This record gives sequence, C-alpha cells and structure tokens, in this order.
Amino acid sequence: MSNVLLQVVNLSKSYKDKNYWLNRRCINALEPLSFNIEAHKTLAIVGETGSGKSTLAKLLVGAELPSTGHIRLNGQTLEPGNFKQRCQHIRMIFQDSGTTLNPSLTIEQLLDEPLQLNTDLDELERYQLIRETLQKVGLLAEHMNFYPHMFSGGQKQRISLARAIILQPQVIILDEALASLDPSLRSQMINLLLDLQQQMGLAFILISHNLGIVRHFSDEMMVLYKGKVLELGKTTDILQNPQHKHTKKLIMSQRFQLLNR
Amino acid sequence: MNLIDIRNLSIELKTATKPILAVDHVNLKMREGEVRGLVGESGSGKSLLAQAIIGVLDEKWQVHVDRFHWRGQDLMRLSPEERKAVITKDVAMIFQEPMACLDPTATIGEQLEEAVDVAQLSGFFWQKRQQRKLAAMNLLHKVGIKKHQACVKSFPHQLTDALCQRVMIAMALARRPILLIADEPTAAMESTNQGQIFRLLASLNQLKNMSILLISHDLENVTHWTNTITVMYSGQFVEAGTTEQIFNQPYHPYTRALVDSSPKASSMIPNKSRLMTLPGSIPILQHLPIGCRLGPRCPRAQQKCVHAPKIKSYHDHQVSCHFPLKDSYS
Ligand SMILES: Nc1ncnc2c1ncn2[C@@H]1O[C@H](COP(=O)(O)OP(=O)(O)O)[C@@H](O)[C@H]1O
Ligand SMILES: Nc1ncnc2c1ncn2[C@@H]1O[C@H](COP(=O)(O)OP(=O)(O)O)[C@@H](O)[C@H]1O
Ligand code: SF4
Ligand SMILES: [Mg+2]
Ligand SMILES: [Mg+2]
Repeated sequence: MSNVLLQVVNLSKSYKDKNYWLNRRCINALEPLSFNIEAHKTLAIVGETGSGKSTLAKLLVGAELPSTGHIRLNGQTLEPGNFKQRCQHIRMIFQDSGTTLNPSLTIEQLLDEPLQLNTDLDELERYQLIRETLQKVGLLAEHMNFYPHMFSGGQKQRISLARAIILQPQVIILDEALASLDPSLRSQMINLLLDLQQQMGLAFILISHNLGIVRHFSDEMMVLYKGKVLELGKTTDILQNPQHKHTKKLIMSQRFQLLNR
Repeated sequence: MNLIDIRNLSIELKTATKPILAVDHVNLKMREGEVRGLVGESGSGKSLLAQAIIGVLDEKWQVHVDRFHWRGQDLMRLSPEERKAVITKDVAMIFQEPMACLDPTATIGEQLEEAVDVAQLSGFFWQKRQQRKLAAMNLLHKVGIKKHQACVKSFPHQLTDALCQRVMIAMALARRPILLIADEPTAAMESTNQGQIFRLLASLNQLKNMSILLISHDLENVTHWTNTITVMYSGQFVEAGTTEQIFNQPYHPYTRALVDSSPKASSMIPNKSRLMTLPGSIPILQHLPIGCRLGPRCPRAQQKCVHAPKIKSYHDHQVSCHFPLKDSYS
C-alpha cells in the first residue's frame, strides 16, 4: 500500500435526466467504484460509448462533482472545491487538444499561464521551467516565440503535453488523446509519454478504444459497461483471459480485424 | 474490366511565384466491385486526389493527367462538361464530418427527398410527391435505419454522428452510384461507431456490387475492409497492391513504417518498449523536399533519393522506391 499514489474510493456520479418532468429520474453515469494507482503505472479504461469513461475522467480532474465517494492523492483527501490543489497534480489531455490551443498566444504565454495561476515562481524561474519543459517534449527553446499555427499537428500535441506536465503533476489523464493522430505521430507520442513516465514517475490513466495501445502502454486495465466495472486487473491477465462475455466481445472484435489478415 | 484507370495525375497549386506540385504523378487503378483503401498520413493529398477525380477542385488548382479511363472509356477525349456528366452520374462522395454536410435548418426527410433521382419518378406531381417520400424511406431502409419515421422528422443536430453518416450514405445511394468515394467517413467518430459504418459499406459493396474508394489516414483501421490498398505520402505515389501484400509484405520503407508503428492487440513486442517510428513529420507544401519526399525521414535513404524514383511493378504489386524491401522477404 505504501506506493499508492491515487486512491479512488466509492466514486459515483448520477445526472438528472432533463427529459423527465420535475427531474424525477436520474441517470447513473457511474456506479460507485474504487481503485488505486501507483506512481510509474498506467491504468487503461476501456468500454463502449456512453459507458462512463469521460465521466470518470471529469470527476478525477474535478471538472464535475461526484455524487458519492472521494479521491485521495498521496493519502490526502482532495477537497472537491479546491481546484488549485487538484489542477497541479492531476492534468488531462483531450482528444483534439492540438486544436484547442489559444491561437493568439505565443507558446511561451501558453505555458506561462498555468504557472502564473498555480505557482509563486518569479519570471526568471518560470522562463527556465518553460525552457526545460519544451526540451522534455522534444521541442526547442526557440519555439517559445512561435504561435500555435506555426506548428504541425504533432508539434501541437507536444505543446499540449508540455502544458500538461509543466506543473509537474503526478497523474495525467489521456481521454482518447491518441485516437485521431496519424499512426507515425501516435507512436512518437507513445514513446514520448513512456519516456516521461520513466523520468518523472508519472501515473497515466489512459482512456482508449485501441486495445493494441492498451496492451502496449498499460499495466492494469478496467472495463466499464453502462457505468459499472466489469473487470479490473492486470492488463495481460484480462486480455489473455477475459472473464466477462462483454470483454470477450470487445477483444474478439479487434483481434478479428487484425488476425483475419 | 477496370472501373477506373488513372496514370500520372498531378495537381498544382497556383501561387504568385511558381506553382507547387501538391500531388506528383500518382496512379490509381480500380476494378469493378473492388474496395480499395487510399491510405497516407494527413496532408498526403488523398482528399485533393479524390476531389480531382470528381472534378470539384476550384481554379486555384491545375490538374494534369496522362490517362483517365472510366469503365473503358477515355474521359480525356471528352469535353470537360461531358466528363463531368459521366462522373456525376456514376460517382458519389461522402465526407468526414456528416453533420457539417447536412443543412441544419431542414429535416432529414426533406433533404433526402431532395436527393431522390427525378428519373426514377413518374406520373403527375402529386403522385411524384408520394413516390419521393417512399423513395426516401427506401433509402433509409437500405442504410439500415429502422426507425425511419422518427428519422425523417429529425433535424441533423438531433442525430448522432454515425446516424448522420448513414443518412449521407443514403443520399449518396440515391443516384445509384457505381463508385462511392468515402473520404475518412469515420475519422470524427468513436471507434465503436466506426465499425457500424464500415459494416454498412461492406454490405453495400457485396449486395449492390458498388465499388468503394475508402480513404483513411490509418492503415490498420481499414485493412479488414479492403481488397486492395494504395499508399500515398506527401503527394507522391508510394505503393499499391492487395491488402495482404501491403500489410504483410510491404515493399516500401514508408508502408513498412506504418505497419510497424502500431502496437497490435496480438503482437509480441514487450510491454512499454519503444515503438518503431519515423522521425519528424510530413513536410508542408511550402517546404517539399526534392526527389523522393520521404528522403529526410527515410531509414534507407541514399544519395540517389534526391531523384524521384520510378514506379516498379512486380505483378500486381507496385512500389515507388530506389531501394525497395522486396529482397528482405525470403
Ligand atoms: N452532463 C451530462 N448530463 C447528463 N448526462 C450525461 C452528462 N454527461 C454524460 N452523461 C451521460 O453519462 C453517460 C456516460 O457518458 P460518458 O462518461 O461520456 O461515456 P464515455 O466517455 O464512456 O463515452 C452517458 O449515458 C451520458 O449520456
Ligand atoms: N485549399 C488549400 N489551400 C492550400 N493548401 C491546401 C488546400 N487544401 C489542401 N492543401 C494542402 O495540400 C496538401 C494535401 O492536402 P489533402 O489532400 O487535404 O491531404 P489529405 O487528405 O491526405 O490529408 C496538404 O499539404 C494541404 O495542406
Ligand atoms: S526512394 Fe530513397 S528516400 Fe525514398 S523511400 Fe526509397 S529509399 Fe527511402
Ligand atoms: Mg468519452
Ligand atoms: Mg483529407
């Protein structure tokens, strides 16, 4: 238990269904669930559309308030309202984060923003940190004065990654962040993420449909179905020996696509 | 018979100084009833090529082609208007973002009825109106939408992405095309919905013998659904062959890299090891390398590669590289 970084206890979320009169009905987007993640480890979350993956991600970064349960980081409970504390330690990268960068800011300004909001570093320290972070994601210090439109899609992804790691978080959530990338870019990005995990001890939560990436990238995996956890365990165990028929179907559909050739 | 046979198609972007060769001497051949994948990372010129085929590029672009045969007919002998008429009759196209292609202010039913081919209708106008409605329902049925009553009354924003794409396919089917060009039809969708659309296209191919040019940036994604594949990179022809040849024994270093870069659910590379990948990224039009455009990223590049390679043909497997990997398979 000593290595546990993130501890999720009985977390759940229900939304009021707006289509029903007087809001009497609720949708259980996520039934109560618990899990732990250690530093250096990746937890993959798979499940079909609407199974609650993004809801879980939003609860973890604090973009939504949970209906029940709580989250502990290094043994400390994260207060639901304390965004500053949470922003620093748990960061998220979205699917098309490359296109969500503010086009009117330079790369330096884009990276400076989270530092000004979340740290007490002075200008020189911030400048140094931005330099180092750009190097970590394979960009150059000279890129600081560039605007987002001057970069290729892959470089923009690197900038969003730089933005995610600059506060030296402990957990990064990737919600389908790799899905729409070109394959050669995607493998570059995976290599980079794995390097950073090794260097910084990051824990990743990887939401992905691609079981190839899940197999390669993750240590443990969780299968969600209609807001419930079907399976949770070592990735290799679940992929080799799925217990639930729904998991089997998921694995078969992708294996069939590849092995049939 | 060949459905389409295109040789040395080039597309130039006119600029104030000198024109840029965005698509550089590409070949594309399809047989009747074939599903061909057109694969290459974003910016390879796949969409430009498709737009050139159906003749919808604006005057910014200049297209040259040595040969353009459609079902045995030499289209280059026809006037541009005649060519356009042949193509609009037989070829339909669907795009990446179905929602954006539909009119947000009209119901699905209205838009479908609009798309119905007038030649299929007969009788007086009130009879035609009824026939249109029926034809629209039929189209929805063909693309596997069971709740057509609800669907025709909906506006585009009320439907999911995958449903909208089905509607787009239904509209494309209205003219009974012989070739359907699907330009990344599932790129904006979650992959559980992607399967639906691919299965629908496959069934249309089998039941109606409709040929399909399936464009994708992800080789792995389309291998299950195609008979043959053409690979492009940065506007140049890379390789073409059967899906098996391309996926199992690629001759071109770029195709090899595409195949090797994706971790597969079944493969045996160690967990968390480094994946094979090409360094750098695809060049922009303003900075195209001379000769083989893969040169700066290619692990096999040598001096000779500053000259564009000629296409070599091994039976049905064509490759454009000075140093193909053909001999590395024994
Ligand atoms: N803001 C919201 N209001 C109401 N229902 C929501 C909201 N966000 C998500 N849901 C519902 O919660 C369920 C899970 O959604 P989501 O977490 O986005 O799934 P996934 O990411 O696995 O596709 C879905 O049924 C969805 O309709
Ligand atoms: N309207 C345009 N104006 C200028 N350049 C364009 C335009 N459309 C496409 N391009 C450029 O042409 C090249 C090929 O584009 P495209 O055919 O869209 O590639 P793909 O469909 O393979 O992603 C790219 O470098 C792209 O930036
Ligand atoms: S021609 Fe040269 S640079 Fe181009 S793919 Fe072949 S070896 Fe590589
Ligand atoms: Mg989601
Ligand atoms: Mg395109």
